Amino acid sequence: MSGAVGAEIAGAAMPAGAIAIDCAALSKSYDGVIVLRDISARFERGTVNVLAGENGAGKSTLFKIISGQVRPDNGTLELFGEPVRRFDASHAQSLGVSIIPQELAPIPDMRVWQNLLVGREKVGALGLLRRREMIDEAAREMEAVGLSIDPTAPMRSLNVAATQMIEILKATSRQARIILMDEPSSSLSSRETEQLFRVIRRLRNDGACILYTSHRMEEIEEISDTVAIMRDGAIIRHAPTSTLTESQIVADMVGREITELFPDRTIRGGGGPVLEVENLRVAGYDSSVSFSVREGEILGLGGLVGAGRSEMLEAIFGTRPATGTVRLDGEPIVLGRPAQSIRRGIAMVPEDRKQAGVLTSLSILDNVTLPHLDGFTGAGGLLDTAQRRTRALDVLGRTRVAYASLNQKVGHLSGGNQQKVALARWLVTGMPRLLILDEPTRGIDVGARSELYRLINDLAAQGVAVLLASSDMPELINLSHRVLVIRGGGITGELGRHELQQEAILRLAMGRTTDASR
Amino acid sequence: MQADSLAVRAAPSLSAAKVGRFALRYALVIILAVFLLVLAATNHTFLTLSNLNVILIQVAANALLATGATFVILTGGIDLSVGSIVGLSGVVGALFAQNDGVGSCVEAVLLGILAGTAIGAFNGALVAFARVPPFVATLGNMTVASGLAFVASDGQPISGLSDLFLSISGEFHGISIPVVVMVVVVAVAWVLLARTRFGMHIYAVGGNPHAARVAGVSLRTNRFAVYAISGMLAGVAGVILAARATAGIATNGTGYELNAIAAAVIGGISLAGGRGSIIGTVFGFLIIGVLDNGLNIINVSPFYQLIVKGLIIIGAVFVDSVVNGSDD
Repeated sequence: MSGAVGAEIAGAAMPAGAIAIDCAALSKSYDGVIVLRDISARFERGTVNVLAGENGAGKSTLFKIISGQVRPDNGTLELFGEPVRRFDASHAQSLGVSIIPQELAPIPDMRVWQNLLVGREKVGALGLLRRREMIDEAAREMEAVGLSIDPTAPMRSLNVAATQMIEILKATSRQARIILMDEPSSSLSSRETEQLFRVIRRLRNDGACILYTSHRMEEIEEISDTVAIMRDGAIIRHAPTSTLTESQIVADMVGREITELFPDRTIRGGGGPVLEVENLRVAGYDSSVSFSVREGEILGLGGLVGAGRSEMLEAIFGTRPATGTVRLDGEPIVLGRPAQSIRRGIAMVPEDRKQAGVLTSLSILDNVTLPHLDGFTGAGGLLDTAQRRTRALDVLGRTRVAYASLNQKVGHLSGGNQQKVALARWLVTGMPRLLILDEPTRGIDVGARSELYRLINDLAAQGVAVLLASSDMPELINLSHRVLVIRGGGITGELGRHELQQEAILRLAMGRTTDASR
Repeated sequence: MQADSLAVRAAPSLSAAKVGRFALRYALVIILAVFLLVLAATNHTFLTLSNLNVILIQVAANALLATGATFVILTGGIDLSVGSIVGLSGVVGALFAQNDGVGSCVEAVLLGILAGTAIGAFNGALVAFARVPPFVATLGNMTVASGLAFVASDGQPISGLSDLFLSISGEFHGISIPVVVMVVVVAVAWVLLARTRFGMHIYAVGGNPHAARVAGVSLRTNRFAVYAISGMLAGVAGVILAARATAGIATNGTGYELNAIAAAVIGGISLAGGRGSIIGTVFGFLIIGVLDNGLNIINVSPFYQLIVKGLIIIGAVFVDSVVNGSDD
């Protein structure tokens, strides 16, 4: 552990210049709501510091202040010993602050080397680009962190993980001395996360000060030198990672002990198959799959990012072309007709919440009732809003969404609550027969996770068949009755409840070819 | 080894779907090629050297407009004002081309081009700085430029142009000057787009404005620049067309904006921005030019030609959305 400075143990003996970020009594409120209160903390050069806290704890606001996007109401910020007086993003950039947002910003139609070097072009005689040199430079930068990607490949051909690594490289290659990463690992599978960590360690060894937010406990232990725990806008503890235990961190984050993150699995025997999939082949994949899900069963789908799980789920729901047979309660469903799938009782909570799960610019009421407007349409084609409100209130209560009013825009809710809304909309007209969940807890804090897990488990206990795709191993292992491991659009193995172990899933997920090439 | 899951996915094998997409992508080109082959086989004037030369000269003006449209569309914008700019620049050029002498002719040409550049810069300022949607800004200026042209010409053709000015649309030692201008403009545009920082920034702005800004690329400068370029090229086209018509006429370029956009889109410049190359645009305006010429030769009424061209534009955009767009 390189000498870490906690808020409580911050010593006056620190040599000048070793402190990269020094916050003193920073506060910020929006419309009277306090989002940051009295933040005082120091972060050193050459350290990795995790900011842990539930969504809404103030992590992103703190990031915005350090990166110059937001001016604090009170308090001072010093970067490398210099007080910051101008809060604007380009000024912060010139001081060496680099922020990697959660949302990726690739330019899919350009090549990898162009993505990496846009804004840092090498220009030769007559203003012409030195293409060859730039391609070599891109290759060098990727090689330095162990990435083997062809710099001339089109950006759109990369998977999410590779795209993420390019984004991180892009942001850190600009002489970054302070790097803020907002949940960089949330879309990576565990193997890809290792790669990310290699990049982070290299940056740390080069003397950068890294602030990192994460919801994954294993990562906090593996990568960080210090942990700053935030709750309700304040840093309530900042200490070297080695002095903290996992349960302490979690308890501090939520302000209460979460005894059981995962509910006890309910085992319902004797249910017949709800979903039967035969020779389903998703367009663009060579393999096909056959499986079934019984009533009340939670069937987990494991695999690496890009293995084809999401695509398979979309095909079953009808939003992606595929061939094969899918039966619900013994009756075949026509592929490619999501409206029909909904009528038959298939509910889908997609992977990308903001793009497909909810409509952030619409109200909670509209979001929850959108798939069922036919049922709320009365005489003359007008919507029965009183009825809509009653049903919405009921279902929001059952899913424990925290909200101010039904007219609140969903975009203003926290990630966890948005996800609950995405789930709640399928419970408005009774129980679905099949619930499809794709990465249901990505970017969601521990407290909200635990509630979602309970909700999923309760639905299964009431007979709903659940298909759960997740890259979060503990989630997959503790929630599923059975796990299918997917690779390249096909099934590489099935694990029963008692065989569910992280290594077993990973081994299948990576497939034999990878083992052979080692 | 760690990297294998991060490496580029292997190209999926050739499937029926891929063949279908390929066929669709080039459907328009294929249909037009068949049309031309039939034409060439059945009509003996079509495939003559003199007719091909006529096609090139006819194509030259649209080539300039289509090159401008390529810049604009690559940033994700659109420029509807170029047709009106052609009229305005022609009138302005004609007003100053009444007297003989090299100086007067140069003045006329430069002022004509300047008028186009000014309207283009106004478009650019509206889009880049005032954040007016490109469709609205350039639609408004389409009317403004047209109005200015009518005011300047008092609604009458401005004729009586000097011989030197008229020779702009003629030949120099047997080589058509408009064709030379076209070749130079397209070549410069190719170098700019494919080989310079400016070009890379244009693709970045159109491909993902947010990413471009984060990388330190100025959205404003680049957006402003492409509209100014489009206006300037429309100005050049206006001067050439005034010389060819032997008069500055306010309505000389009416409807030309659609030919320009059609050429770019047929050539594979995606209306979503950030995708396509000037080479595609060259094919686009050649196809349109040959089609116009072919329909004329077989005596299709100009009214029907409008219908055909409109449908081709819709077809090109349809193909673009089917082949490139994700189904959302």
